[in-house]
Amino acid sequence: MEVNGQLALTVLMGVFLIAVAAWLARVEDWRSYTPLAGGGTVGGTAEQYVSEEKPSGVIRWLTTVDHKDIGMLYGAYALVAFAVGGLMVVLMRIELADPSMTLISNTFYNSLLTSHGITMLFLFGTPIIAAFSNYFIPLLIGADDMAFPRINAIAFWLLPPAALLIWAGFFPIPDVIPAQTAWTMYTPLSAGVGSGNQMNAGVDLMLLGLHLSGVSATMGAINFIATIFTERNEKVSWANLDIFSWTILTQSGLILFAFPLLGSAIVMLLLDRNFGTMFFSVDGGAILWQHLFWFFGHPEVYILVLPPMGIVSLVLPRFAGRRLFGFKFVVYSTLAIGVLSFGVWAHHMFATGIDPRLRASFMAVSLAIAIPSAVKTFNWITTMWNGKIRLTTPMLFCIGFVSNFIIGGVTGVFLASIPVDLVLHDTYYVVGHFHYIVMGAIAFAGFAGLYYWFPIYTGRMYQVTLGKWHFWLSMVGTNLTFFAMILLGYGGMPRRYATYLPQFATLHQVATVGALILLVGQIIFVWNFVQSWLEGREVQDGDPWDLADDDLVTAEWTWFERKLETAVTDGGEDETELATDGGQTVDDTDADAESADDA
Amino acid sequence: MSTEEAHDDHGHHLPAVQDWPRGFGEASWWPFVTAVGGAGIYAGAGLYVMGQDGIVGQTAGPAVFIGSIFLFLAGLYGWLYHAFVSHFWSRDASQKSASKLRWGMIAFLGSELGTFGALFAYYFFIRAGTWPPQELPHLTGSLVLANTAILIVSSFTLHWAHVAIREENHRNFILGLAVTLLLGAVFIGGQVYEYYEFIVHSNFSITDGIFGSAFYGLTGLHGLHVSLGAVLLGIVFVRALRGQYSAERHVSVSTASMYWHFVDVVWIFLVVVLYVGAEVGA
Repeated sequence: MEVNGQLALTVLMGVFLIAVAAWLARVEDWRSYTPLAGGGTVGGTAEQYVSEEKPSGVIRWLTTVDHKDIGMLYGAYALVAFAVGGLMVVLMRIELADPSMTLISNTFYNSLLTSHGITMLFLFGTPIIAAFSNYFIPLLIGADDMAFPRINAIAFWLLPPAALLIWAGFFPIPDVIPAQTAWTMYTPLSAGVGSGNQMNAGVDLMLLGLHLSGVSATMGAINFIATIFTERNEKVSWANLDIFSWTILTQSGLILFAFPLLGSAIVMLLLDRNFGTMFFSVDGGAILWQHLFWFFGHPEVYILVLPPMGIVSLVLPRFAGRRLFGFKFVVYSTLAIGVLSFGVWAHHMFATGIDPRLRASFMAVSLAIAIPSAVKTFNWITTMWNGKIRLTTPMLFCIGFVSNFIIGGVTGVFLASIPVDLVLHDTYYVVGHFHYIVMGAIAFAGFAGLYYWFPIYTGRMYQVTLGKWHFWLSMVGTNLTFFAMILLGYGGMPRRYATYLPQFATLHQVATVGALILLVGQIIFVWNFVQSWLEGREVQDGDPWDLADDDLVTAEWTWFERKLETAVTDGGEDETELATDGGQTVDDTDADAESADDA
Repeated sequence: MSTEEAHDDHGHHLPAVQDWPRGFGEASWWPFVTAVGGAGIYAGAGLYVMGQDGIVGQTAGPAVFIGSIFLFLAGLYGWLYHAFVSHFWSRDASQKSASKLRWGMIAFLGSELGTFGALFAYYFFIRAGTWPPQELPHLTGSLVLANTAILIVSSFTLHWAHVAIREENHRNFILGLAVTLLLGAVFIGGQVYEYYEFIVHSNFSITDGIFGSAFYGLTGLHGLHVSLGAVLLGIVFVRALRGQYSAERHVSVSTASMYWHFVDVVWIFLVVVLYVGAEVGA
């Protein structure tokens, strides 16, 4: 059985990698990396410029120190990781369609569970944020580039090997099996103690990969702090710094203290596993690991959610026709969350028997952190209130973000309360809660950003109908899957199991259907993304969203406009067949249904 | 993309004008080489673990590990050389570029708080439990006091050198750096000697109980930092001998100093809580 599962995953991965390779190969000869000199032959001058600044072909990408190129690399990397982590969970959900063990073995299920978590948090979440921040922070603050362009490149190039190490257990290396520790890596299981199989080298490789990805994230954070502090244009003061830069600055501060601490804890664990130290075999070593892990782990939640909140705070007002309501308070709440996030970690440990006084204080801080989160939510809602709402795809994803964040946030408030947590701890309720945040909110904001800035980084427009299909399938799929999980948790279904009692079958099947709907939505996304990038209508206007009408243009669009003006006209033919959002008011979202055949 | 920027955007700086490959403004092989070397160190560690389990040969891990370290150092050398050293006098050295390097160092030192924090947290965790957990070696001997004094003095000599270069006094600058480096080397030697004493004569090694883990974890991590600091100061020293730095251009002197002083402060804290703290009440 396990072999079948392995085989299925390997084949899926293989097909996927071939598709990526084919796409890259196609991109390779499709143009000479000057998106606005599309034809390539006409723009002689353009090519001269290119040879002045960057080599051509693959070498350009390997040697680049341009923040925009590095942002694109981060984005491509994150989307590949998203696909891998997504396919892993699809396999898990299919296994869970039936109460007994059918498709894959329990151990393989555990491996997928572990890798899905780590892949989505460390290889998708952090890099997709880095994609946006690398590309847009220097543009937004009027900097030439990042403060340390070469460190920026090093930080990115550490990530692909990190992914290979983390996934090494899945590769056909004899006697190396994937880690089954879950992403929390609790000792003594992860220390390899006992008769289990977690002494296997696969766990060590995963830990090494995780450490490497942490080094990369820390380097990125140092770079962003130095950039935002010192590289701002004279006109950009602290008072008019944009909201996305604020959230990235706060996030970098969190990374700075959280990731190195995890790094040291991982090294201690590796020493315990391989060099006979006793860091975590001390009395209470298991609790010690949890303290260290969650001192990193809870800030990590905000590391992942603050910049997406920044994207939503930036994008949502553009399509509400108003400035962000209560800008100052959104900034203050960001900073407040950043500070408070280091004082809530033990709410993950309410059920471990730690001192009740400690529990009570962590409960108080955990409830308090709901306040700045709510401040943001109400400001987003108030921004839309009486606004001139344009339901473009990025706007839909922003609204989806707010909606899912409310469900994910409110379920979290209950978990912060000790008595409720003791009932719901380690059930699917917790899984449903945090997936509302990581999928329903963080990934949604990622999509909002990908669609909103699509014209900037591709020079083209995506297909609007497909974008809306993507949104609605994601929205329905997310709520179906994760609301079913919340109900499963109320019913007492424990998390992390590959099999379950028959009474939970219906809700599990609902969740699986939801996951498959999500899968269809993401396939549409990939299609739309790739096809529009290659063949979408070229954007001629520096302000494709008509932001100027409401006086809401931000610096990156000004930059884009200037770039279009100065670009050599290539006289390429117009491909106007494809519908675009074009910034027009879309008042009837049901219109989606009629153009379904596009997909 | 953004190809036009160098032409119409006044004051736009390309980051890698004088780099390898030459002739481009935004391309450099060094970050890639450095990253491959850095990742290779991790791969070597992974192969070492696999070698212990008999999955690959015993020598594969150490070989990859050491080879990658050289590749990593080569990458660092190329990067630092092209970015900072080769055009020292002609490259742009505005107030802005100085402050970004200082902010980079401040942020890095912030991350060091996390790195040390995990190990201190571990030590405080066991210190709060039953104490002593095992028979402790004699910690606060004359060696550690002498070493502490040496490290503190080295901070003063480094500061003295730094003041000297700000007054264009190159002789005192080089002298101060040399003395600091010497004191740093003596400190590292002292630490090695202490390890030797503990491991060989007191039978106290990293695998000896939870205090062994804490002691060697903390002092080892600190020792690595002093060694890195000595390397940084060594680079500054070589560049100083080559005639670089002036009263206006001494950013890397100040960033290396920040690092050295930080490591010094960590050591004082470490001596108080780990050496003295372990013996008080034991």
